[in-house]
Amino acid sequence: MKRIIKGGLFIQILCLFLAFIMIFPIFYAVSVSFMEQKAVLASPPNLLPPKVTFENYVTAFTRTTLGRYMINSFVIALVCSISRVLLATMCAFPFAFMEFKGKKLLFMLAVSTMMIPPDVLIVSNYGIISKMGLINTYLGVCSVFLVSAANIFMLRQHFLTFSKSLQEAAYIDGCGNIRFFTNILLPVSRPVLTTVFLSSFVSVWNQYTWPMLVTNRNELRTIQVGITMLKDRESAVFGPVMAGVVIALIPTVLLFVLFQKNIVAGMMSGSVKG
Amino acid sequence: MNMKRKKFWIKKIEPYCWMAPAFLIFAVFTFIPFIQTIYKSLFIVDSFGNLRQFVGLENYSYIFADEVFLKAIRNTLWYVVLTVPISKILGMLLALLANKRRKTSFLYETSFAVPMAMASSVTAMIFQLLYVPSLGFINGFFGLDVQWLNDPDIAMVSIAIIQIWLSTGYAFIFMLSAVRSVPDDVVESARLDGAGPVRMLLNIYLPLTTPTLFYLIITDITYSMMMMSLVSVLTDGGPNNSTTTIIHYIYKQIVSAGNYTNANPAAIVAFVMTLIATLLGFLWEKKGVHYQ
Repeated sequence: MKRIIKGGLFIQILCLFLAFIMIFPIFYAVSVSFMEQKAVLASPPNLLPPKVTFENYVTAFTRTTLGRYMINSFVIALVCSISRVLLATMCAFPFAFMEFKGKKLLFMLAVSTMMIPPDVLIVSNYGIISKMGLINTYLGVCSVFLVSAANIFMLRQHFLTFSKSLQEAAYIDGCGNIRFFTNILLPVSRPVLTTVFLSSFVSVWNQYTWPMLVTNRNELRTIQVGITMLKDRESAVFGPVMAGVVIALIPTVLLFVLFQKNIVAGMMSGSVKG
Repeated sequence: MNMKRKKFWIKKIEPYCWMAPAFLIFAVFTFIPFIQTIYKSLFIVDSFGNLRQFVGLENYSYIFADEVFLKAIRNTLWYVVLTVPISKILGMLLALLANKRRKTSFLYETSFAVPMAMASSVTAMIFQLLYVPSLGFINGFFGLDVQWLNDPDIAMVSIAIIQIWLSTGYAFIFMLSAVRSVPDDVVESARLDGAGPVRMLLNIYLPLTTPTLFYLIITDITYSMMMMSLVSVLTDGGPNNSTTTIIHYIYKQIVSAGNYTNANPAAIVAFVMTLIATLLGFLWEKKGVHYQ
């Protein structure tokens, strides 16, 4: 008995040590963001700031357009997540509750979009967006993130678990499809919709390639693109950059830590066959 | 009669109306661009994206003769080989360690998983600092003198390490739920048979978690083949094109050169590569994955 307890303690200590190694890059970024310039690249290297300063955060916000980048990212991630939730629910609704011609084919088509990596399409999509005159606009950045087949798939699976009787009872009460959708289906599905919303927000917030391709005006950069432009490759001024890094990672890391169960459940459903 | 007919028609087209917005976006930003990319890859295209001349498969033979593109393919495959297996092994080991719920579980479980919430560009910026050759933390702490991002032989490995960090969190969270769903009585009876940790891993946990492992490997291969953000932030493909990936090559063709003639066939090559990888994965699934 004693040995088991001791074993458990040892594994806990080992796990906590590994946990520290795992989050070390984040920890180090936070630490450097509070360091004075001369302490960042010093010999021997500093793990903790010898003297805590908020100078880097002041610099990051006053000397750069970090605030603007954050607003851009918030608007884009918010618009895309709302759109993903809305369009995916609307699309999954008939797949789960209605019978119509071509249902199987349309479902296959929707799922097949998951087989085509979006990065393969950047050439043509860039052409389409520039022909539409949407380069350097929010709409241009949002365009390719407005709907996700994975969400449709997940919501359909979820809707299929509802008993048909729920819908039938609603129809007998004289409830049309639209009222059934807004007054019953959406409220009942709130936990799943939250999951879709949160995982979409994290994933759109973290996008890099596409936002970088369709914006070249500084005011329209998202935080992920903007952050890499705070410093050119040769300069050694890391303090303000790390302040920016910390600000950029706070929203998603915070969302993840707070809603880990929700987000993880969303990513897993529909992925592992039961 | 008229009323009835109207109702009939409404009922008939209603499902399509619900799905129209989603499919409209799929059409404009997935289906049409995909077909367009295939079609345009057979033409010489000017820098505004207009078709100039039909050349058949000549564009393909042109890029396959391009030393930089070949290097991009090699780098991309090397990157996949480096990142996919190691992050899965690490994720599996961490999941086995964290399997039993303990007092501090929530602390280390969250820490192991947190990289999955990190953006690649932000992570790249942090590792750029850690990798600084003179006085950087890694070299300074371990007393090394490695040119992490400037040595053509090492640069791709350094970038792969960042990706391994990013994907281990993802692998961990999936493997944790897979490992926890292994039935207790199976574990117990194996233990009574005197199976040690290694045999437990190879004979019990590994076979029973293959569906999850399979899913992780397939998705990660397609994801890693499309990598460009880390390269774009850290090395821009250098030194000596030692870190150019396929998507980075495509990006460079469009942005720096306005060369759609090379970008389109390169995109199709990238697509075919992910397709082959996925198909191989499914073949392997038929042989090696055990669904309970």
